[in-house]
Amino acid sequence: MEGIGYAWTALTTTPAAFAAVAGVIWGILGGALPGISPSIAMALLLPFTYSMEPITAIVLLAAVYVGAEYGGSIPAILIRTPGTNAAAATAIDGYEMKKQGLAGEALGISLVSGVIGGLIGWFFLVVLTKPLANVALLFTPPAYFALGVLGLSVIASLSSGSLIKGLMAGIVGLMIATIGTDPLSGVNRFTFGSPDLLAGIPFILVMVGVFAVSELLEQAGKRGWARATEEEAQTRIKLPNWAMMKRLRKPQAIGSGIGLFEGCMPGAGGSIAAFMSYNEARRWSKNPEEFGKGSPEAIAAPESANNTVAGTALVPMLSFGIPGSNSTAILLGGLLIHGLRPGPLLFEQNPDFIYGLFGGLLVANISLFFVGILILSPAIWLVNRPKPYLMAAIYALIFSGIYSIHHSLFDLYIVLLAGGVGYLMRLMGFPFLPLVLGLVLGYLIESNYRRSLLLTNGDHSVFLNDPVSLGLLITALVFVVGSAARDYQTARKKRQGSETAA
Amino acid sequence: MTLSFRKFVTSVAVAASMATMALPVSAQTYPFDSVVLTTHSSPGGGTDVFLREMTRYLGKYLGANFVVENVRGGSGAKAMADIATAPADGARFYGTTPTFINTSLLSQPEYTFRDMSGVANVFLDPQVVFVRGASPFQNLGEIVEASKASETAVKFGVTTPGSLDRQVMEQFKAITGAQGPVVTHDGGGELLISVLNGTVDLGIGEIQELAAQIEAGEVRVITTYTKERLGNMPDVPTATEQGIDLVVNKFRGIAGPKNLPDEIYAAWETAIQAVLQDAEFKEWYEAQSLVPAYMGHVEYDAFLADFATEQEAFLKQYGIIQ
Repeated sequence: MEGIGYAWTALTTTPAAFAAVAGVIWGILGGALPGISPSIAMALLLPFTYSMEPITAIVLLAAVYVGAEYGGSIPAILIRTPGTNAAAATAIDGYEMKKQGLAGEALGISLVSGVIGGLIGWFFLVVLTKPLANVALLFTPPAYFALGVLGLSVIASLSSGSLIKGLMAGIVGLMIATIGTDPLSGVNRFTFGSPDLLAGIPFILVMVGVFAVSELLEQAGKRGWARATEEEAQTRIKLPNWAMMKRLRKPQAIGSGIGLFEGCMPGAGGSIAAFMSYNEARRWSKNPEEFGKGSPEAIAAPESANNTVAGTALVPMLSFGIPGSNSTAILLGGLLIHGLRPGPLLFEQNPDFIYGLFGGLLVANISLFFVGILILSPAIWLVNRPKPYLMAAIYALIFSGIYSIHHSLFDLYIVLLAGGVGYLMRLMGFPFLPLVLGLVLGYLIESNYRRSLLLTNGDHSVFLNDPVSLGLLITALVFVVGSAARDYQTARKKRQGSETAA
Repeated sequence: MTLSFRKFVTSVAVAASMATMALPVSAQTYPFDSVVLTTHSSPGGGTDVFLREMTRYLGKYLGANFVVENVRGGSGAKAMADIATAPADGARFYGTTPTFINTSLLSQPEYTFRDMSGVANVFLDPQVVFVRGASPFQNLGEIVEASKASETAVKFGVTTPGSLDRQVMEQFKAITGAQGPVVTHDGGGELLISVLNGTVDLGIGEIQELAAQIEAGEVRVITTYTKERLGNMPDVPTATEQGIDLVVNKFRGIAGPKNLPDEIYAAWETAIQAVLQDAEFKEWYEAQSLVPAYMGHVEYDAFLADFATEQEAFLKQYGIIQ
């Protein structure tokens, strides 16, 4: 109860509420620009926060995080370019809906789901920080390994129809993830003496390449593409109606539930949460066949997941001082600059700060909705300009965005290469998602597999002895067997069908 | 709200002017009005915070304004290239940490620490050995003893594979004959979780990162790898006191392009010595448990060369580089 008092004081006596709204606007813009990740959007603002009051500074930065996690879905839907890592799953069905002329609807779904996810994440952050902090401690190396395997089991259902191709793409993704410094021994692998490759291949580059660049190549390869216009394209954002909201309830709950736990685990993060919730939403959906072809549920699940993570990722940051991602690392930096030390005692020593931050985050999540509505209609207008202008502008946007991350031409070559590979994959019918998933999860799986074995001197039974690991591995097994059985049944039905027809 | 809005606008304006630098200029004569300090650390990272804090006071002693520039990428390779290729006139410097030597050795970039010169050292970061609060271990001797039970009886945690703390842990094992896996992590945060949940039995870290956990009793510091006991932890013995001859010099200082004019080196040496005496700055760095360790240009160059030789030997011994 006294927490509400602290929050109210913070919001009324400091510019925290204003900072929350300003942060959300900046975050959405940053998130929407490919190359400007949530952490970069935050880092750009950080120097300006040095002289602010701590509460204003941290609310501003946290609001940028909230805004950016949502903003990433805008280009994912409109131009198939995930603005942030966590929006990659949204790009699949979001862009399909846009191609069907439903851009406004898709954006409305992602906005509403993002706000709902954000509010759920906020709620759990406020009421359950202490118990949730223990989630981070439950996860030992074997458990992280099992979590990665569970994530990979998604490939089985993401590539239905072409499982072999999906597996091939997944393995290529895992292989790309081995480039760079060996996570355990520090030896350089496949870097060919190039310092640019030491940190590995950042997966946002691959994603922008295989999603956006290959899409542009494909469109430019079509006959008469310059004159093609999209018929009856929606020009305004359309919020989901009541029936749609009812349908989205399940994927939103799945997304938020997964986001809740992933956010509490350092290193798991929004992208893994988004992919897993995409898959789970599909598994529990009444219309799984729509996934990949423009299903509203496929937007709702990942978007509520990544915005839930934006709230719950603060749990390990505030209770241990451990940043689970680049974004929370910058938030941590902001706290340290103001002399606040996150840790078990922060809640007792600085309740005014903690509850002020919670209050600011609530304002940020609510204002996300209104700022989103204002920003989206001009964004839709922008992408309905004539194709030649639009495509040139998208190229310029992507490449300047990518270049701005590290001021490196090397990054641009990676994007171009990934674009070329993505185009070929498209021609040959390889699914992209397994590739991206392998790349995202490769490091997590490899480093924790080897770390576990190092701890036990090579004894594999550790994966079965750790209860969390065992549970996750069994779940993964159930998933793989389940989708195999489903595929088998569909195939048999088809065969029977064709036999009766014959 | 109008008042708070105005306050917000002012604070933004102040921050903006700070970013473009508006520190008081003293009568001292330094050939440049503003000096760029480059760091590979991201905004809010340890080195970044240290440089920003120090330049708040250093300005008046050197007679120049400071801009701290974050040049990330290539674990510092990019920042080093920036400085190594900058004109040797005293306008651009680099904030050093062991990372710049590590990256030079590990990734062999085009420009390394050998293309730069040490200007002055400022601090040493005390490295400490910590265990979780409920751990039975009270000192290093008990750990060595316990490790003899089996190959995985004691698990040692360190941060990244090429880091100074891994080197220290391996040295510790070599000196004492302790056995057990040395488990590397992605960073200090992951290591802390591993210690807290018992994945590893002990870790090496810096006090700033651990302060909140120490205060809450979640982790306990059992040894410092410093020459003398730390002022704010008088009860924690050094490794040397426990008969293990191991002192770690995790340095923080300033480097610049090669062959700077002598008067530039001299100006910095005077200013760094003066800033270490500054009462306000002192209050800050003592709270951070940073140990002042001034070294002038000549001494610092020799120190860095020695440090690199030792580091290189370690990296070769563990097969990290050829």
